[in-house]
Amino acid sequence: MDNVSLKVSNLRTHFLTRRGIVKAVDGVDFELRRGECLCLVGESGCGKTVTALSILRLFDSPPGKIVGGQISYDGLDLAKCSLRQLRQIRGKDIAIVFQEAQSALNPVLTIGDQIIEQIKLHLPLDYSMARDRTISLLSEMGIPSAKRVLSYYPHQLSGGMKQRVLIAMSLSCDPQILIADEPTTAVDVTIKAQILDIFHELKASRQLSTIFITHDLAVVAEIGDRAVIMYGGKDVETAPVSEIINNPKHPYTSGLIECLPDVSKTADRLASIPGTTPNPIEMPKGCAFHPRCPKAMKICKQQEPPEIITSKEHKVSCHLYT
Amino acid sequence: MGKSWLRGYITKRLIYAVIIAWGILTVTFILVRVGPTSPADRYLANIAAGGHDVTQAVAAIEARYGVDKPILVQYADYMGNLFQGNWGWSFSTSMPVTELIKTHWIYSFQLILLSSLFAAFLGILIGIYSAVKQYTKADYTFTFFSFVGISIPNFWLGIMLILIFSVKLGLFKTYYDTTLPLFSIDNLKALVLPVITLGTGMLAGYVRYTRSAMLDNLRKAFVTTARAKGLPERTVIGKHVFRNALLPLITIIMFDLGSIVFGGAYLTEIIFGIPGLGQVSFNAIFANDYPVVIAVTLIGTFIVLLVNLITDITYTYLDPRIRYD
Repeated sequence: MDNVSLKVSNLRTHFLTRRGIVKAVDGVDFELRRGECLCLVGESGCGKTVTALSILRLFDSPPGKIVGGQISYDGLDLAKCSLRQLRQIRGKDIAIVFQEAQSALNPVLTIGDQIIEQIKLHLPLDYSMARDRTISLLSEMGIPSAKRVLSYYPHQLSGGMKQRVLIAMSLSCDPQILIADEPTTAVDVTIKAQILDIFHELKASRQLSTIFITHDLAVVAEIGDRAVIMYGGKDVETAPVSEIINNPKHPYTSGLIECLPDVSKTADRLASIPGTTPNPIEMPKGCAFHPRCPKAMKICKQQEPPEIITSKEHKVSCHLYT
Repeated sequence: MGKSWLRGYITKRLIYAVIIAWGILTVTFILVRVGPTSPADRYLANIAAGGHDVTQAVAAIEARYGVDKPILVQYADYMGNLFQGNWGWSFSTSMPVTELIKTHWIYSFQLILLSSLFAAFLGILIGIYSAVKQYTKADYTFTFFSFVGISIPNFWLGIMLILIFSVKLGLFKTYYDTTLPLFSIDNLKALVLPVITLGTGMLAGYVRYTRSAMLDNLRKAFVTTARAKGLPERTVIGKHVFRNALLPLITIIMFDLGSIVFGGAYLTEIIFGIPGLGQVSFNAIFANDYPVVIAVTLIGTFIVLLVNLITDITYTYLDPRIRYD
């Protein structure tokens, strides 16, 4: 267990809405090992972002509520601990980088103010020490003239710069765990490459365990050590990234990989998985993926698939392997 | 961040302010004189009772006040005096207009200041609470009472408060004593009901505006960022959300400040017998005391223009994205 930094077991986060209970996360299991980059992968609405928010209980509540499961961190169950305990972990032990840097920064406060505020909250530093720390963090993130940027407001920075500021902010108190919620989604391709470089460097320079949320398998292949494929609020397959790419077990994972365009072939249309993600209020019975699954069997409609361990590092929830 | 452009902007706005004030002055000047009334009207009963010739007496009075001259001549005289700092002579109180205003402005100022502080402070607090506790019983209760507050005309509220708290219960005296210091306990007590009268409508409005401005920002991504930092909820709401909600609030509060100078404070002063500019202006209108009417209107105009300018400058400090170029 020493090797495990965070363990999420059977996590269930539901939203009580007027139209019904949205089971955004409904039984997710994974463990984050020290120093690794674990990718949570899936389509929009599969529950990956809510999973991330659940770890620090950052979803809106009401309507959201963790209705079951455990989030074990450092001898504490983050799903049940008091808000006071959780606040000491937020931003200090576990930090999160949000996807849209544009809206994730407060428009009326300076960059310096927003980062220094967090440092002073968690670390025993005075203002000028916190300020120096902020400047060196910003420089580390490749922000030119970091000292001047302290007095800038978010609107004076480009999208890529804002994303760097957010990453610097998340690292400001030397967290054990970094959760990155699609940090490359809202930026263009060149910035995306630069942001990924930052994550590569971070991995080399700091002993940081990262949960990287994305829908982009190309990003997973580049940055991830292991990946958890999510569908309908559940984890359907967990394996090292090379296994996921070369030897996918779940029909959904295979589908995702087939969707990746292959530059060596010409095709009129790109491959896609037929159908759309299920309505989280009325999940299909049995395996949530069965209406879209090319290999669906009778049992898939009736029974939820059990979790099957196909090899030491590979597990999949699918009736094909029972 | 330097704001060197602000200086030119302020100069430009001040020039506009002078032009607008001049326009309003001119319109007021003409309006008060084209009516069928005359400053001599209030002496008519006395003149008739004394058995004098009315036409002759009226002509004599009008000549004395200078209102018999052609209107353009009167206008030129008035403007000439105004440029020398002479605001004219009050017919009905027999003293220079500047003297009259100097004695009375402080009472209006005191009433408006206390009412605005009362309304803004309480309104913002309740509004924030209502937004954070959206759709709870407390929120519904505050919402209900704020609609009541917005709907009550303040002259009616004033009369009701006097009836209940002064006449029936005898808790507050209803007259203001100018011989006592401004902030003496007695006068502050006498101001309780007027402040409630003038402040209730504003307070109720601020509750609504604060609530909606807070709700606009409460679900924004940067609020989640603030929580993810580990900040206590008090800082998240009070700093991150409120700073963003402040801009529309300042607009409303400043706008109200301008409009109560002309509207609410006026009526409240009359109901409660507070000897402020509202009272002065009210008496001047009934006495056809033209110079006083114009002076009070002009002061109100300047206050509104000045408040607007201050508001616009405040914006640039509250929201760094705003620039006027």
